[in-house]
Amino acid sequence: MSEYLLEMTGICKSFAGVHALDHVNFAVRPGSVICLAGENGCGKSTLVKIISGVYTKDEGEVTFEGHKIDKITPAEATKLGIQVIYQDLSIFPNLTVMENLAINSEITAGQKVVNRKRWEKTAREALSKIGYDIDLYAKMGDLSVADKQLVAICRALLFNAKLIIMDEPTTALTKKEVDALFKTVRQLKEKNIAIMFISHKTEEIFEISDDVCIMRNGKNVYAGKTADLTREDFTYHMTGRKLTNDKFVPKNVSKEPVLEVKDLSLKGAYENVSFELRKGEILGITGLLGSGRTELALSLFGLMKPKSGEIRLNGKSATISSPMEAQRLKIGYVPEDRLTEGLCLRQPIADNITLSSLKRLSGKFGILNHKDIYKDAQIWVDKFSIATDDPHKYASTLSGGNQQKIVLSKWLSNDLDVLILNGPTVGVDVGAKQDIHQLVHELANDGLAVIIISDDLSEVVQNCNRVIVMKDGHISGEIGSDDITEDNILEIIR
Amino acid sequence: MKNYFAKNKYTALLLILLAAVLLFFTVTQGSKFWSASMLSGMCMQFPEFGMITLGLMFCFISGNIDMSFVALGDFAAIIAVKYIVAHTNDTMSNGAIGGVIFVGILISVLIGIFGGFINGILVTMLNIPPVMATIAMSLVWQGFSTALTRGDAVTGLPMLYSEVGHSNVLGFIPFPLFIFIIGFVIAAFLLKCTTYGEKLYMIGTNAKAAKFSAINTKFLIILTFIICAVYSNLGCMIMVSTMSSAKADYGSSYLMRCILILVLAGVLPDGGYGKIMDVLFAIVIVQIISSGVNMFPQINTYYASLIWGGLLLIVLILSTKMTGDGFFAKKAVKKAAAANKN
Repeated sequence: MSEYLLEMTGICKSFAGVHALDHVNFAVRPGSVICLAGENGCGKSTLVKIISGVYTKDEGEVTFEGHKIDKITPAEATKLGIQVIYQDLSIFPNLTVMENLAINSEITAGQKVVNRKRWEKTAREALSKIGYDIDLYAKMGDLSVADKQLVAICRALLFNAKLIIMDEPTTALTKKEVDALFKTVRQLKEKNIAIMFISHKTEEIFEISDDVCIMRNGKNVYAGKTADLTREDFTYHMTGRKLTNDKFVPKNVSKEPVLEVKDLSLKGAYENVSFELRKGEILGITGLLGSGRTELALSLFGLMKPKSGEIRLNGKSATISSPMEAQRLKIGYVPEDRLTEGLCLRQPIADNITLSSLKRLSGKFGILNHKDIYKDAQIWVDKFSIATDDPHKYASTLSGGNQQKIVLSKWLSNDLDVLILNGPTVGVDVGAKQDIHQLVHELANDGLAVIIISDDLSEVVQNCNRVIVMKDGHISGEIGSDDITEDNILEIIR
Repeated sequence: MKNYFAKNKYTALLLILLAAVLLFFTVTQGSKFWSASMLSGMCMQFPEFGMITLGLMFCFISGNIDMSFVALGDFAAIIAVKYIVAHTNDTMSNGAIGGVIFVGILISVLIGIFGGFINGILVTMLNIPPVMATIAMSLVWQGFSTALTRGDAVTGLPMLYSEVGHSNVLGFIPFPLFIFIIGFVIAAFLLKCTTYGEKLYMIGTNAKAAKFSAINTKFLIILTFIICAVYSNLGCMIMVSTMSSAKADYGSSYLMRCILILVLAGVLPDGGYGKIMDVLFAIVIVQIISSGVNMFPQINTYYASLIWGGLLLIVLILSTKMTGDGFFAKKAVKKAAAANKN
């Protein structure tokens, strides 16, 4: 038997004549953590779907536990012990934890009658595999993403999984939850279960993985031990270009604050929040999920009404009752969830970019010439180098980074004083991430006041000249320029 | 021209369907189908439901549906006719009667604005799913109409009303068609040349993202329900001129017919999509089928529901197959892939 659990050589797959995978080699050692890394659209998901049997390969060889496998179907993959935990987790949010855990094995066993006791037994057995404790009768939809993930892992273990594939499991997790997840991953490793980890967060990859396989444009660019790689090499392999990590230094900060928040409270969300923001500053707001940071941002954008306290803009007291009002007061907001809150995916790129500036583009009585929309949009497409040949195409044709650039240009084409960015680079690959950061630096130096709300501590450290840490709805600490390090922030969060 | 159809495949498809329908009735009915009375009859009929369809199109594009427009239109027509009947008599001059009729139509429009506003409030402020809210409102309006008339037709309209309804504008355009043309031009202008139209498509695609883009989605959806109701009430007032009366259930067959037309035109209540030219072609196709079928002596009006229901089902199956993950869509993808390889 070979030293590998799963070995894939010369895998090719093309869609509509376009090579998604071009002679890719990939191997997993039993009981190890391998990380599959690469920018969006590099072929990571295609490779995973071939392993799990969703797609069939065009060329190449797959060996699992020394046996050559010609054709994998999803059912066979499960039988072999390959389990995939997708980003959406494939759970039933309206069922209980117990039902979610037991349902698959019940179906495979062909059970026709419901037996609560047997279900409970199956569920307990699943939880015991990683020593995880949770209310079996809790509704799945009410759990946090982290808990949902652990339940999904337990469910995978019920099938005697030998290889568990996790598709970007840390995207929606906070630092603490990521640590808990990694603990579980190490536990699984001890049980000789191999974990394949898909991610593009550099820090996490170096923390958890033994081996790493980096892909770019459907090709292998690196495969080997993680320890042999420096962080610089890693990003270079991912993006194909050298990246610079310039820390943001504010160049022209205004004397008077543009935004003042005084004792702002909304019960159940945040309490007694006060801060000031000057033009030219980038203020970071960080904290665990549920710390009230998103609610605070929504209040500043007129989508959640604060109970008490005051918001002052340019020295004048302001009531922000709606996004329309916020726009009038020159506040822009780039929402947390790009796909549901930021974009009309099945509409042209241009129409998305100009959505908030139709008033400016239209004549009297709201009369609009569509040519003006495309003219205006083209300016932003060129300025941000949004990767499209035609802004008439749907926004859904773009990658995450380019989509985020659309949402940004939507607000920047307005005359703004304050720009609030909530998770500006979630699901954005390293290259586009740097473009966006660079852009925000320039905007701030041109006199825009920026708030970045983020989980990604390295992002906060690199881009903010001041950081507010929130905890349970309160501001639990503020850090200024030179003291901003990940350790200092973590200390306050914990 | 060729370029236009390459970009608008669905429009091309509708035109082919239109040609096929025309061919079918020409072959089966011959010259009878192309008679002058047949054509003018069609031009008198389709403006009624054509107007209603245009209104409903706005609702569909915004991602909403209105099931109450027929009941509301009937109710408004009953009130308007009652008003006109009560304020006119044989001794009045045509000018005076015309004034009263104008006020009557204005009343119908005002009731439309009110009814649409209620629909909009139910959907946007109380967050009731549009189908449920408007079905409930439909029952309410129908209830008012029935209670008010005991189910009888309201008659006694001055002759002038139907005379105008049957007159020609500029000597050759039937009056209802003239109203429809105006309504069509306004609708096309609203959709294509105003910020309202632009925002409507965006709201229909993703209302949440529109809200986050500082668009007053609630106001615009209420406005859309109002536009829908006003169009359909005007359609019902055209119907009053054909029938010379108003009744609680006159337009009831139009509910399904209008939905059928929109689905045929590729406008689904999912929202975000709809081309007004396609809607126009679909209206014409449905009118031709409706008139053509009536020419067969074997088929009487008792089959109407069956025919429209069956058609709606077929169109729904075909349209889901052609879009999204449907069979034809997949086939098209495969074909494109094959072409790409070569």
